[in-house]
Amino acid sequence: MKTRFFNMKTIKNKVISGCMILLLLGCVPVMAQQQSAVVTGTVVNEKSEVLSDVTVMIKAELTDESYSALTDKNGAFIFKKLKAGENYEFTVSYIGYETTIIKKYLVKKNESNSVLVRLQPKSSSLDEVIVTTALGIKRQKRSLGYATTELEGSKLTSAMSNNWTDALSGKVAGLNLVRSNGGPSGSNSIILRGENNITGSNEALVVVDGVVINNGSGRVTGTGYKAQADADSPSDYGSGLNDINPEDIASVSVLKGPAAAALYGQRGANGAVIITTKSGSKQTKGIGVSFNSDFSVEQSYRFPKFQYEYGQGNGNAKYYSYNNSVDGASTKGTSSAWGPKFNGQLYYQYDPATQAGGITRTPWIGYPGAVEDFFELGHTFTNSLALEGGNENTQIRFSATRADNSWIMPNTGYARNTFNISANHKVNDKLRLSSNIIYTDKNSKNLPAVGYNNQTVMYWTAFMQPNAPLSWIKDYWAKGKEGILQNYPFSSNPDNPYLISYEMLNKSVRNGITGNIMVNYAFTDVLNLMLRTSLDYAYEARSQQRPFDTEKFKEGMYRTQNIFSQELTTDFLLRYNPKINRTWTTSFSFGGSTLKNRYLEDEIRADMLLFPNIYNLANAKNQLIAIPYRSNYAVNSLYALANISFKNYLYLDVTGRNDWNSVLATPSSTSNASFFYPSMSMSAIVSDMVKLPKAVSFLKLRASYAGVGSGRNVPYLTSVGYVAQSVYPGGLANPTTLANLNLKPLYTSSFEVGTNVRLFNNRLEFDVALYKSNTTNQILSAGLDRATGANSAIVNAGEVENKGIEVQVNGRPFKGTREFNWNVFATFSANKNKVLSMTDDLPELQLQSGPQGASAVIAKVGGSIGALYGIGFQRAPDGQIIYKDGYAQRTTQMIYLGNVTPTWKLSIGNEFRYKRLRLSILFDGQYGGSAFSMTHASNMTQGKIKETLPGRDDGMIGKGVIDNGNNTFRPNDVKAADISLYYESVGARENAEGNTFKTDFIKFREFNLSYDIPVNMAKRLGLQKASVGLYGRNLMIWSKWPQFDPEFGTLNNGTIDKGLESSQFPSTRTIGIKLSVGI
Amino acid sequence: MKRCQLFPFLIALLVFSSCKKDFMELNKNPNTLERALPKTLLAPALTEIVKFNAKQAESFGNELMQVHIDMGGSNAKPYRYDIPTSLAIAPYNSWFLQIPNFRDIYSGALYRLGIDSLGHNKTYMAISLICEAWVMSLITDTYGDVPFTEAGQAKEQKFLPKFDSQESIYLGLFAKLEEANTLLKTNADFPVDEQAADPLYKGVALKWRKFGNSLYLRLLLRASAKSVSNAPAKISAIVLNTTDYPLIDNNDASAILRWTGTVPYDSPFATTKTAAWNTRGYTNFFINNLKLWNDPRLAKWVKKDANNQYTGVPSGFLPSDNPPKGSSRPNTLQTEPLLGNMLNYSEVQFMLAEAAARGWITGAAKTYYENGITSHMTLWGLTLPTGYLSSAPIAWKDTDNLEAKLEKIHLQKYYSLFFTDFQSWFEYRRTGHPILPQGNGLLNNGLMPARLMYPVYLQSSNGANLRDAITRQGPDDINTKVWWQKP
Repeated sequence: MKTRFFNMKTIKNKVISGCMILLLLGCVPVMAQQQSAVVTGTVVNEKSEVLSDVTVMIKAELTDESYSALTDKNGAFIFKKLKAGENYEFTVSYIGYETTIIKKYLVKKNESNSVLVRLQPKSSSLDEVIVTTALGIKRQKRSLGYATTELEGSKLTSAMSNNWTDALSGKVAGLNLVRSNGGPSGSNSIILRGENNITGSNEALVVVDGVVINNGSGRVTGTGYKAQADADSPSDYGSGLNDINPEDIASVSVLKGPAAAALYGQRGANGAVIITTKSGSKQTKGIGVSFNSDFSVEQSYRFPKFQYEYGQGNGNAKYYSYNNSVDGASTKGTSSAWGPKFNGQLYYQYDPATQAGGITRTPWIGYPGAVEDFFELGHTFTNSLALEGGNENTQIRFSATRADNSWIMPNTGYARNTFNISANHKVNDKLRLSSNIIYTDKNSKNLPAVGYNNQTVMYWTAFMQPNAPLSWIKDYWAKGKEGILQNYPFSSNPDNPYLISYEMLNKSVRNGITGNIMVNYAFTDVLNLMLRTSLDYAYEARSQQRPFDTEKFKEGMYRTQNIFSQELTTDFLLRYNPKINRTWTTSFSFGGSTLKNRYLEDEIRADMLLFPNIYNLANAKNQLIAIPYRSNYAVNSLYALANISFKNYLYLDVTGRNDWNSVLATPSSTSNASFFYPSMSMSAIVSDMVKLPKAVSFLKLRASYAGVGSGRNVPYLTSVGYVAQSVYPGGLANPTTLANLNLKPLYTSSFEVGTNVRLFNNRLEFDVALYKSNTTNQILSAGLDRATGANSAIVNAGEVENKGIEVQVNGRPFKGTREFNWNVFATFSANKNKVLSMTDDLPELQLQSGPQGASAVIAKVGGSIGALYGIGFQRAPDGQIIYKDGYAQRTTQMIYLGNVTPTWKLSIGNEFRYKRLRLSILFDGQYGGSAFSMTHASNMTQGKIKETLPGRDDGMIGKGVIDNGNNTFRPNDVKAADISLYYESVGARENAEGNTFKTDFIKFREFNLSYDIPVNMAKRLGLQKASVGLYGRNLMIWSKWPQFDPEFGTLNNGTIDKGLESSQFPSTRTIGIKLSVGI
Repeated sequence: MKRCQLFPFLIALLVFSSCKKDFMELNKNPNTLERALPKTLLAPALTEIVKFNAKQAESFGNELMQVHIDMGGSNAKPYRYDIPTSLAIAPYNSWFLQIPNFRDIYSGALYRLGIDSLGHNKTYMAISLICEAWVMSLITDTYGDVPFTEAGQAKEQKFLPKFDSQESIYLGLFAKLEEANTLLKTNADFPVDEQAADPLYKGVALKWRKFGNSLYLRLLLRASAKSVSNAPAKISAIVLNTTDYPLIDNNDASAILRWTGTVPYDSPFATTKTAAWNTRGYTNFFINNLKLWNDPRLAKWVKKDANNQYTGVPSGFLPSDNPPKGSSRPNTLQTEPLLGNMLNYSEVQFMLAEAAARGWITGAAKTYYENGITSHMTLWGLTLPTGYLSSAPIAWKDTDNLEAKLEKIHLQKYYSLFFTDFQSWFEYRRTGHPILPQGNGLLNNGLMPARLMYPVYLQSSNGANLRDAITRQGPDDINTKVWWQKP
């Protein structure tokens, strides 16, 4: 096939003689001497991807006779019965692309006339961007009265992470990720636009090809344990959201406010993230195979600044002795490092060869780096193969991905297989069928336990002694007592970290299917019906095993959980798009859905084992304990949408939705179960309405109002029942979380105004949104005085106001050329949150509670829902810390320590392209947040970090004052008698203020360098296209946060808490390489 | 496809969507029960508290009272009177959470009584009252003024319970124990198939009655400095009329939840790994008395040190002194059934000995005192060594002054309260006995803490009522005396 390449103004001519008369069926005959000819063509974009529905106009240059055609699914168009020997002019136009005109195209006789048209994206294409909005409805961005952000799939895969949602960081104004920080399967909560919902689910809705996955496979389920010193530790098993293969994602559309997500109803109250996966297309070149390979290495960094100057010992210890010796009593039992200075002096120390005290004295020296060296380099190897193809009526895409991960903690990681098939079939002009199915199989041999607990590795990091190298603890069993007695030479509080890694396993096998089947039927050109059934299904088998002689399980433990989750949704949408006239365009939609959610979890426990090292339920020493849980709920909904546009520059959307949610039904009433809410939004393209200064290329104003009700998605909060006490035959107890018999839906009303303005021929773009939302009747879980007999109660309470601004800036400092292009983008968001009212029942709500109860997140009227309170320093009126006997004094009252939510977030990205080389760099940061750090407290009280070095030899006089007792103060001049007690007075976990730090940071978030191999070279390799890339993630953090990542979350049973850090895992930086080929 | 095939589906969907009538059934919790029979509630509530108390005794009570000390790397050091605010949370929370379970035993049994009028329903009601009085006394003796009349009513939407004065709590507890004693006059034991519901006494009414009255005696004695308790007269009346107020009169009737080793009745220490169990070293005070007396309990409770000696650590030592750990606890104690002690026969005898010594009852203090010692030995499967009771430090002397007598009684009582929640601390606060040595590493000016501070979280979850209580009782401080301690 001959092709001719046409650039914007390139025209090629050929003249051939001889023409024939072309007679069109039913048309008037024209010039009798001319011959008829056929012109076929294909329209592609700048990436050589075919474009369908492109308008191609052809006009004979002499006669002005013209025809038009649309390209089909394969980007192909055809004009039959043209006149050979005549010159034609092609006009090819498509939204988002520069209109391309091909002049003087000479149609040849008896020859296949074939044209390849390559469209270049319009620099000012933003006004015609197509956005996937709620319910999957595609709209022109200019018509929307609310803020959205769109990301191409490639933005998510250019620098891969274990959890693809990490790639959203810094790219969407107003998006906040709360990470569980829980290992290779770590979950993220996506929070959009502040927190209008004090507790409970304030995560954004996540929709994959029309399937909502939050509450099915996307549900984060806890192991029933809290992050701090509980009977066992939680592990993050991740959720189906992690398992989506980012290579399958075509685009992500982020709908931030309630107005945007109004059609998703109660579940969209916190915004929505809409993921569209790739679908197949007919191949014009090659065989439609693409292959991606990605290898990345993950390295831990930003460890606490451990000290290696003083060794193990209690306060003011003058010597060291492992076991009692002639030097003195044993000092091996303490967890602290307040012992003697390392001067190479000789002491009786641990002898790893005998696993006992050495019989000779050995030099007293520090062994720097033990904790750092415990962590390995993590690596992830991902290979993905996609096949696509089809014809005019049927297109299919299939992809298979395999990811193998080994994480930074020894013996942890996962392997994941993902298969995705997407099919489209046009049965006839009216009926179209499509289906998209994702199957995931994830297998984790061991996932780390998180939190501050004897059985976690991160707990151990604060207990390791500076006078011991890692090699001393690598043999984690006592010699000759393998499997029965663990070996850990120092304080008995932690378990040996190698024992934790290699023996205390948390396993998981998860199989999930997320998919839908959709039928589209076009009754007429203007009336269309969509019917769809979506299924989100997952089955997971988990187990936990603990060997003998561990901190919490002296005789071992084995537990299994079978977890089944299923959400089945059937919905329809009837769309009517009557054409009124050129001025007015309307569209009406009416839809409904019915959703059923089912969740089953069966846990079996053998909390003591008969024989060591055998992990099955037959090995239970006692009767097995069964802990079953079941839940069911349903939501039925009806909704309608009307879009009216005037002259394509004024747009109005009105929506209404009613939800019936079973979780709000009580044993005697369903009156609270139904709720209705409306939304209205407007968009005006001012630049099309009035003449603006030349500098302004585009100006859009938008405004919206939305009301959204929500009943949350947790069933059984409306009736009180006794809870089975599984270890006691026939045992029951009152619930510790109290239900609310009159639970009402919460209601958020939100106003938003915004503008999109583009200046200097579209080289600078601002998108600004201002919003204010008020949420009433919050459904909250509030901590109670336990004297009530319950831990917490579900209440309808309060009104919370959120006000904020989101700004997105795009710019092209240099006018792009074919050779060089530079794009800059930046996002800024700020949110202010205020509690306007509370309930009479509870004037203050304790939303989260920190370690040792010394700190808490408390909502009070006039305050914020992220307000952190805690015990702090006693201070003189001038703010100086009060000391007594040399030690800092603590308050008895909780004081305000800061806000766990940052005031603002900022990101700046740069993209450079030079010929085939692309470089992108992203920095982001946040300001104004604070958090409590348990890791810091633990390292302070145990003398493990450099911060505890001052005053070790010659005592410490804390900077502050002494209370004279008569409201006067004098400077502190008393030396603390015991240096360990001094640091405890300023840094113990009970002193929340002493361990609260700003979480402000700047991160070098992403770096990506890629090169497209020239087509000729690729062809020689038998490839259609190929590219290679090098990338990095989280390469640097600049922050005052004392260790690791200031952007942490704490996995606490089934939720990810903010602001209260409890033995976080190390922050990691990732460097990877990526290869993509197309065949 | 034809239109007519689609429309019925669409219409069906519409009809279904607007329907919510199944919701009441759908939102019925399949994981819980609406009602609970009294027999289902007792064992979990009681066992959880006894387990919790033993753990608290280990980590807090035994340190304050110089039984043993954590020589490992713990941050909290109660033995040095260094009481972090965090220590106050767990007892308050764990004890109060069981109050509704005990109360529901009463209301459930009362309801059953109306249906079947069986006598053992009254026994359940009495058990509920006794258990509540027992737990509430632990709470108020630890903190002072706490919620009582409005406690445990979250189900009635009472989220902000007012704090009652300790005086009114004590009077309320006396009333509950009187009512329990009256209810138990019916003397109706549990039917055979419900005996397993009571891990303490297998539903034997008389044993519960003895426990209730012995608890009454304990609380009267504790409030005896307060005239409103009318304790001397009431104690006398009880002792004179043990037909109407039977007391625990032998080891078998003692309130001890004996650990069987089988879940759920396994010792809370059974799962502690050996290395952690061994971190606790006994004190000089605890060991030296037993050594001095040549007491057989020494070998039962204490493991010799590496040098095959019984050695302890000094009281309240300075951290820099770093004394060697010395003797620790034998592994047999990890599964010892008797560490589930609540109120035993010997304690009753020592209470009566004190009442006699103070002249409130007519019996001979010496007899009670010696009974107390002997029965405690027997309880632990030991034989009283010959000459033990007549040896100089032990021998009762009627000629001793009251303080000397109280010291003797309370020193023995201290050992009989081995691993019994915080009882020896409460008794020390009341009487100052046994006299404990004071090391120079003690904080808080060497003053034994008089109470625990209220959990910090109450400042936000029940702030106004908490502040009222503090105004009434005194500053929220470990040195503020509770009502029965106040002069």
